Amino acid sequence: MNKRAWLNEPYLIINFVLAGVIMLIMIYSGIFSPDKDDYPVVCIHEKLTGEPCVSCGLSHSFSLIIRGRIDEAYEWNKYGMRIFLFFAGQLFIRFVFSVIYANHPDSRNQLIIYDIIGSSALFLIVFMPFLIWIIKFS
Amino acid sequence: MEEAKNNSGQNLGIAALITAIITFVMAVIPCVGMIAIIPGIIAIVLAAIGLSQAQRSDSPRGVIMAGLIIGVIATMISFSQYFVAGKFAKKFDKDNWPARIEEIMNDVQDNVIRDLEDANVSIKVEDGDEKVEINVGTGKSDKKKILEELEGADSTKNVSITIRK
Repeated sequence: MNKRAWLNEPYLIINFVLAGVIMLIMIYSGIFSPDKDDYPVVCIHEKLTGEPCVSCGLSHSFSLIIRGRIDEAYEWNKYGMRIFLFFAGQLFIRFVFSVIYANHPDSRNQLIIYDIIGSSALFLIVFMPFLIWIIKFS
Repeated sequence: MEEAKNNSGQNLGIAALITAIITFVMAVIPCVGMIAIIPGIIAIVLAAIGLSQAQRSDSPRGVIMAGLIIGVIATMISFSQYFVAGKFAKKFDKDNWPARIEEIMNDVQDNVIRDLEDANVSIKVEDGDEKVEINVGTGKSDKKKILEELEGADSTKNVSITIRK
């Protein structure tokens, strides 16, 4: 598959853009230090209500996971590890599925269906505590 | 040219789908959920324009519809975060802090009065050789003291204030 053909495949474009976004999240977690506490993104929920929410400390948690300080990451946000693994897994899936998609044109529709079902199920499992929290208070 | 015409709206559909997926992930994270409404609206607008283009040229609409549906759901979740914040603030009763401070002050005042009720207060004023001593006590406390002396315990509270010139 040449460069031109890759650009004509919506699935591949979506995969690469999403992989790029996940890599940006990883870079963000790597650049900003949990010790300096210089994160540009602050919790809007906490700013408005004055109380921490269920996702507070996620940036710290990601940064600490990238630096190998897993125990401290759990202290900042207990769901940080599972969300980080979800993003890491998605990054891997985007590349692997793109390669399979390019090399096996006959099974493209099946691959997309598996991707949608698998990713949706993973998303629901990983983000379930956040969804429950939103439902609880809305 | 024909191929370009048939793919009309596809690029907008892809952009809408990517924006909608990112919005969906953002919307379920409470810290950034409220600002996810902005990319959510962008996704809906992109999908709507893409859909109209696709309808005109009779091109495939699968990706565009996916972008539109995910965008609408993500925007709704993001919008619900405003209600979540409202309920949360109400739960912790942030607006009523003066009343809470007054309540705490009353509690402290009650505790001090209760402590002083049973106390003997002694004030000593010394000026060279001159010495003035004022003792204030309640009958209740004296009786309690006698009772405690009889029982062999001494836990009477004494407060002594000495003022020197």
